[in-house]
Amino acid sequence: MSIVLSIKNIAKSYGSVRALNGVSFDVPQGSVFGILGPNGSGKTTLLGIVMDVLKANTGDFHWFGQPGSPEQRKKIGSLLETPNFYSYMSAIDNLKITQSISGRGTSADIDAVLKKVNLYDRRRYRFNSYSLGMKQRLAIGAALLGNPKVLVLDEPTNGLDPVGIAEIRQLIIELRDQGHTIIMASHLLDEVEKVCTHVAILKSGNLLTTGNVEEVMMDEDIVELSAADLTALTALFRKREQQIIFDERANTLQVILPKGTAKMEDINRLCFENGIVLNHLILKKKRLEARFFELTNN
Amino acid sequence: MIKLIKTEWLKMRKYTAFWWIMGLTALAYPGINYAFYMVYDNLMNQPTQASKMAKMLIGNPFTFPEVWHTVAYFSSWFVFIPAVVVIMFISNEYSFKTHRQNIIDGWSRKQFITSKLMDVMIISLLISVLYIIVSMVSGYASKSEGSGEMWDKSYFIGLFTLQTFAQLSIAFLIGFLVKKAFIALGIFIFYFLILENILVGLFKVKVNDIGRFLPFEISDRMIPVPGFLGKLESAENYQKAFDDITLHVILTLILSVIIWGICYWINSKKDLK
Repeated sequence: MSIVLSIKNIAKSYGSVRALNGVSFDVPQGSVFGILGPNGSGKTTLLGIVMDVLKANTGDFHWFGQPGSPEQRKKIGSLLETPNFYSYMSAIDNLKITQSISGRGTSADIDAVLKKVNLYDRRRYRFNSYSLGMKQRLAIGAALLGNPKVLVLDEPTNGLDPVGIAEIRQLIIELRDQGHTIIMASHLLDEVEKVCTHVAILKSGNLLTTGNVEEVMMDEDIVELSAADLTALTALFRKREQQIIFDERANTLQVILPKGTAKMEDINRLCFENGIVLNHLILKKKRLEARFFELTNN
Repeated sequence: MIKLIKTEWLKMRKYTAFWWIMGLTALAYPGINYAFYMVYDNLMNQPTQASKMAKMLIGNPFTFPEVWHTVAYFSSWFVFIPAVVVIMFISNEYSFKTHRQNIIDGWSRKQFITSKLMDVMIISLLISVLYIIVSMVSGYASKSEGSGEMWDKSYFIGLFTLQTFAQLSIAFLIGFLVKKAFIALGIFIFYFLILENILVGLFKVKVNDIGRFLPFEISDRMIPVPGFLGKLESAENYQKAFDDITLHVILTLILSVIIWGICYWINSKKDLK
């Protein structure tokens, strides 16, 4: 799989504040790459650097194997931080400027993206008459203009209502299925978990972890099991000195094992051989939210 | 380059303030010249002997070729009107954060400043066309009062265009550095209308006329006072003002290059916030 964006050792300081501290990772082609981190972790700074609105102190980045350039940015649909448009102009006129600068799309494409983001009926209204959600949708429309193969979206669901959030999620999934590469910074871990294939987690400018979502979340195997005799089940695993968590509400036991060591057949056999018949046995995925909190110590 | 101009035109054509201010400029430039013509006419066409004598000595500053000089001089006082548009154009980019978006969408930082340089050039050319129209109309309207060779002093077209461009470039630099429209306008108007005039006047008396090297004065001195006002000065001083035009053309060009060089340099280095 080829690399769309390669970031190498990027550092950025604002005075004495270190916003990014030697961050490196690769974004594979066709991935939905989530950049996660608490407020002030450096997500937007990192995206600002790769879109050339901010200057890194050290390090470099390559788009499509080449150093960043205006010609490459033209091929990338971007929404960075806030929707930035000429407030005295309509949606359609603003998108004409996007089209004129980037060379992406045609007049027909402008109408098409406005329909896609549900702004077609308001296309001739001035940008300053739009609600926050409409502004955000216009920014997403601008990013989609000309159907770019790579999208950079910073908090794309900002200001959207639940329906709008669900629409954008669906849109991202559709784009992913069509083979687009999407680089997305977000606070909404649930959103990222639903749509992203890869993540990078930042905290205070440091990269904590990066990789495939499954790999990042599955740092250990969690086996959830239950039986009619929960006391015997608990005693069995306690005797084996394994880390266990008893969930009273769900009446289940969770056994924490080193990553990749959970053999479900062996566990089932062990219980059966000790006279315990299981009525529930699954290998449980850790939620991204839990993993995020673990990594960021929140 | 054409692509940059087209994109800037997309931004300009829907900007109401641009059309209002250009309309105001289109009224102000002929207006100020007409006002001076009326003053001249009232003073010179009195049925007194003194008035006839004065008219003989001074002549009509609105006849060809002197009209090129007269209109250039009076019109240059009103450069602060198009300067408002220039400042608004750059400060708008900051307030809408489109100075970032234009780069994100695929312009280089150099192209962004070049697009603004094009704006300033185009506005300077529009103002110059207006100046030419006002001069031609005034010249033809005064033809009955005797006229010299029409194009003799038409070099003032070039001087006026350069002066307008240089002074609008200063306005742009202020807008570019200050970012906030009202603060930038305040600084520009205060400096252009008040502070520099005080400094030039002060330095003329006290410090060997060093005020001639102040930013606006550098280009102001490309267009000395018109002949009829020049008669109030000594012939030697008036001739020196003409002799210095070439020097001030060179200084104006250097200043303009420095201004735009600063804009290109800063924009290439700084974070776009």
